[in-house]
Amino acid sequence: MSPAAVTVDRLEKTLGKNKALRGISFEAKSGEIFGLLGPNGAGKTTTLRIVCTLLAPDSGSVQVLGFDTRTAPEEVRRRVGVVTAEIGVYARLSARENIAYFAELSGVLDGELDRRVDAVIDRLDMGSFAKQRAESLSSGQKQKVAIARAIVHDPEILMFDEPTSNLDVLASREIRDFMGESRGRGKCVIFSTHVLHDAERLCDRVTILHEGSVVATGTTAEVRGSHRDLEDAFLELVG
Amino acid sequence: MNALGIVFRKELREILRDRRTLIAIGLAALATPAVLIVISQVSAKTATQTYTIGYSGDIPTGLDILLSATGLKLERVADPAAAAKQQVDLGAAFQPTEIDEYYDPTRQSAQIADTRLQTVLGEYNAAKAAAALREKGVDPAVLTPLPVKVHPLSSPVRAAGNAFLSFFLPYILITMVLTGGLSAALDASAGERERKTMEALLLTPAPRSRILLGKILAVSTISLVSAVAAIGSMLLALSQIPLLGTRVSLSPLAAAVMVWLAILLAGSFSSLTLALGTLAKNFRQGQAYSTPLYFITIFPASIILFIPDFNPNLAYYVIPILNAVLVLRDAIVQNSVAWPALGVTTASLVATGLICWFAALRLFTRETLLIRS
Repeated sequence: MSPAAVTVDRLEKTLGKNKALRGISFEAKSGEIFGLLGPNGAGKTTTLRIVCTLLAPDSGSVQVLGFDTRTAPEEVRRRVGVVTAEIGVYARLSARENIAYFAELSGVLDGELDRRVDAVIDRLDMGSFAKQRAESLSSGQKQKVAIARAIVHDPEILMFDEPTSNLDVLASREIRDFMGESRGRGKCVIFSTHVLHDAERLCDRVTILHEGSVVATGTTAEVRGSHRDLEDAFLELVG
Repeated sequence: MNALGIVFRKELREILRDRRTLIAIGLAALATPAVLIVISQVSAKTATQTYTIGYSGDIPTGLDILLSATGLKLERVADPAAAAKQQVDLGAAFQPTEIDEYYDPTRQSAQIADTRLQTVLGEYNAAKAAAALREKGVDPAVLTPLPVKVHPLSSPVRAAGNAFLSFFLPYILITMVLTGGLSAALDASAGERERKTMEALLLTPAPRSRILLGKILAVSTISLVSAVAAIGSMLLALSQIPLLGTRVSLSPLAAAVMVWLAILLAGSFSSLTLALGTLAKNFRQGQAYSTPLYFITIFPASIILFIPDFNPNLAYYVIPILNAVLVLRDAIVQNSVAWPALGVTTASLVATGLICWFAALRLFTRETLLIRS
């Protein structure tokens, strides 16, 4: 069994008057797709934002490849790539310029920059629109730019937060394929979604959140148990 | 290249591809000469324009020639008081021993006609009195027992030009430094949230202070370019268009002071507008937050217009923007720099810039920045 790439321990967070997380714990490992599941408002996005250091926990801790998110946030961000449903890009820059900007900010050195950017453009099959300004790209193409900028520094951990919620069937399929490919490369892939059917097809292990608490965790088969699918299991768990 | 340079280069590239900003800079460069051309033509027209006096009674011999030579046209009317309300610029009823003058001070043409008439009548009365004294064998010099000989220490025309510059230049400088970079500042702050790129940006390992500093430098650069374009085109226009009877120019010292102040103001304004933009959820909200800045910045420049001889003590130079206006005015009018005033002004504007930068950084690193978006 590979060691945990991400360890979340008794995490608590209050946003305004809302207690978003109530002491959740889980581990995600390299070479697996880990599903963080639950309905809207369960605390999935807040958890991911704490893992990638955008938010600080009220209590509890997060370790990313041995780095604590509180004491070494820049080291954590260097090792994490995040893809969200928000596919905002710099409209007046080309797709390639968008990717290169994030590569530079992520510490990719000048000598490596072109090679890394070209490699990620090839990998995501973006050659046909790489030089186009982002304002003229389709949603699917923008999503590819968003993925490319998240992986251009070759992070060990990839987090996908509802990545397919604004995409059509074809673009969603490409994202799922990409997650599977990343698992094959030994990456730790954390997939946050409220679409349980997607999770069931992709994830090796899952944690289900409900109102800021973990209600189930284990392999996909363990959590499904004797139910027809994850959705039925979830409905019984949250009653 | 470190994060500061990377962000600076990217922001500049985006700004230079933004039509809004480029149009604003271009318009500023064109608008100032256009305004000066209009002012020049209006003032030239006013100086040569003929005004009409509606009169009744008999005009003393010779006075009509003097009036015509001063651009005052005479037109006989039945009732000068009634005619002065609309029909003519000024009414005059010539009596054997006095003149009754009627004019409406709310009309600018009436004011100018009145000034001209008073000047002509003053000279006419003096000439008549002198002739009467001479007839009686008295030297007319008795009428001016203490004559004054005026010796201007500098060209009055040049002084008028400097007075014009001392108001107009600080006004243009402050307005352009503020507005030239405003669109870019809002785009780099509120725009990041609106187009949903803020989260991706903050996810990079680059220190947020350097990201912010890169944005401030890019916005400051555009502000400076806008101010230099507007002032450069204005000075070019002034060197070609005669205004106030002269071609106005800026001394090298005043130009150096102006550039120094522009750099300081650009740094402060960029930090301030980025802070306001960071507070806003979108570009439009950022514009609403920034609107009061126009009033705050224009007010100090207006002081010079209303109180041209405003010479405060050193403590006043602590007040940001007002201090820049005063230092630049002194450099233009006196062609010299009061170093203590410039020192206090520099310290004040640097401190203002640092406070604004610190506020912007605090806002830029708040969790609510992400939660609200």
